[in-house]
Amino acid sequence: MTDTNGKYKKVAYYPGCALEGTGHAYNRSTKAVGKKLGLDLVEVENWNCCGAMEVKNIDPKIQTYLSSRVMSVAANEMDMDVVMAPCNGCYHNLKKAEYDLENDDASVEVVDKLSKKAGHKTYEAGQVETIHALDWIKESIGEEGLKERVKNSLSGLKVANYYGCMYTRPRHIFPEKDQGSGSESTSKPHFMDDLLAAAGAENVDFPLKTACCGGAHTLSDSDTSTKLVLNILKAAKLAGADVIATECPTCHTGLEMHQIRAEKMLGETVDVKIMYFTQLLGVALGLKPRKVGVHENISKSMPLLREHGLA
Amino acid sequence: MPIHEKSLIRPENLHTHDELVIDGVDVSGHWSTFIESRVVSDYNEALEDEIAALPGGEQIHRCWQCGSCTNSCTVNAINADFNPRYWIYLIRMGMESELLRDKDIIWQCVSCNKCTYACPRDVFPEGVMKATAHWLERRGHTPKSPSMHFDEVFTEQIVKTGKIEESRTIRRFFARTKQSLMQPWMIEMVKKMLSGLPVGLLTRMGLATLVAPKTSDWSRASAAIQEFIDEQHEQQEQALNLARLAKSPPQKDAA
Repeated sequence: MTDTNGKYKKVAYYPGCALEGTGHAYNRSTKAVGKKLGLDLVEVENWNCCGAMEVKNIDPKIQTYLSSRVMSVAANEMDMDVVMAPCNGCYHNLKKAEYDLENDDASVEVVDKLSKKAGHKTYEAGQVETIHALDWIKESIGEEGLKERVKNSLSGLKVANYYGCMYTRPRHIFPEKDQGSGSESTSKPHFMDDLLAAAGAENVDFPLKTACCGGAHTLSDSDTSTKLVLNILKAAKLAGADVIATECPTCHTGLEMHQIRAEKMLGETVDVKIMYFTQLLGVALGLKPRKVGVHENISKSMPLLREHGLA
Repeated sequence: MPIHEKSLIRPENLHTHDELVIDGVDVSGHWSTFIESRVVSDYNEALEDEIAALPGGEQIHRCWQCGSCTNSCTVNAINADFNPRYWIYLIRMGMESELLRDKDIIWQCVSCNKCTYACPRDVFPEGVMKATAHWLERRGHTPKSPSMHFDEVFTEQIVKTGKIEESRTIRRFFARTKQSLMQPWMIEMVKKMLSGLPVGLLTRMGLATLVAPKTSDWSRASAAIQEFIDEQHEQQEQALNLARLAKSPPQKDAA
C-alpha cells in the first residue's frame, strides 16, 4: 500500500475540550479513521485547554502560555515531535503560540515565567511540529494511498468542503502553507477536497470555503451568526451540495445550531447535511456509520448515506 | 472625499428647502441641499495611546488607511456601519465623540481574521477591534458586551480547572447575561441532539456537568495565570488613568 510520510505515523494527539463535548463525533471518527489507516495516536497526557477564541480577549499571552504547555508536555514529557490537533481552534492556537515564541521576545519571557511558576519545562519554539488532521492523513497516507484503501466509494455524493477561518488565517502563523505546488493554500485551501475526491466524492464548486460562521459569537451575538451560517448553507445548496464537510467542531456545531435557529426564528429551511470530513472518510474506508458517530450529529445524515449505498 | 468629511454628511446635518427661490432662481427640493458646517474641537489627544496600551491595539500606529480591513470584513458585509478602517482613523485623529456614535457595535467583531490576513501593514485590526471594545467598557461608555461576559466566564473556568466543560460554560453565560436557556431553537437543538446519542455517551456527558473535567496538578499554573492577569490589568488601568477605580475583570468565583 502507498504511504508517504513516516514521520506522521505516530503523533501526539491533542483532542481539546470541544472534542470531549459537542464535537464528540469528530473525536470518535478521527480515532476510528486513524486506526483503520494504521496510524498511531498517542493522546497528550493531562492536557489543558488551548485558550480557544476567548482567552486572548482577556490576555493574548495567557493564550500563548496555555498552548505552549500542551506542546511542552508532548515534547518534554512524552518525547514526541509532532502534535496533531483536529480542532481548528486548537490547531490555530498552537501554531500562533509557535509563531509568537519564534518571533516575539516578550512572549518567550512570559511563557518562561509562567511555566516555571507552574512547575514544568518551558516549551521552546521548534520542539514540536503542530499539524491538523487534514495534514496528518494527506501527508501520511496521501491520495493514492487512500484510493487503494477505499471500500465504499463516495461516488455520486456531492460535497461542499468548508474550512472556516482558523485553518488558514492569519497566514503568517502558517509558514508551511502557500509554498506552491503540493502545499496547502491559505486563500483557496484544498487538502479536504483532495482527500474526499480520493474517496470518490464529487466536490462542488463552493465559493465560501473560508467564510466565517460567526463561531466566536455563536451565543453572544446569535443573530449575526445565524445570518453568516445561512449564507454558507445557501451557497452550498446553490452549488448543488448534498452535504457540507467540516473540519472544526466550532464550525460544525455552529452550522448545525444555526440551521435550526434559522428555521425557528426566520422560517428559513436549507436542506443540506453537515458531516465531519473524518466521518465521510471513515464510511468510505468501510467503517459502519455508527463507528464514526454519524448518529451523534444533530444534522441527520443516515438517510443520505443509505440513498448512496453507504449505510 | 477625505474620510473625516463623511461624519459631516449625516442626515441631521443635511438641509433641504421644499420651496426656495434665490435671486429669482427656483432652487426648491434637492437644488437647495446644503450641508451644515461644523467645527471639531473635542479631540482626545491620548486616544491612540490608550488603545495601544490595551492587548491587541499595539500596532494601530502602523495604519495607512488603505481600507483592506473594511473591504474584507465579515461583519461589514452584513452591516455597513461596521467599519474598522474608519474607527482606526478616528482613534488616530482623537475624534472620540465620532467614535462613540458607533460604540454599541464595535464588540461585534467575529475574529475571523480576514482583516489581519489582508492588512499590508501588520496593524492586526482584529486586535484593535478588541482593544477598542475593551476601552469603551473600561471608560464606562458601554456596558459589558455579551461577548465580554462570555470571554470572562470561559477564561475563569480555564484558570480554575485548566479545561472547558461546554454545558457549564453555556449555563453560566446565560445566567450572567440574564437570558433564559429555554429558547425555542435551543430546545429543538437539544431534542435533536439527544435523539441520536447513545446511552453511554449521555451518561458521560451528564457526569461531566456534575464533575467538571480538570487538568491535574493545575493549582500552580492557575495561580500563576491569575497573578499575571491581575498584573496586566493593573498596568492597563494605569495607562488609562483609571488606577483608582481598578477592579480585577475575571472575577474569581466557583467554576
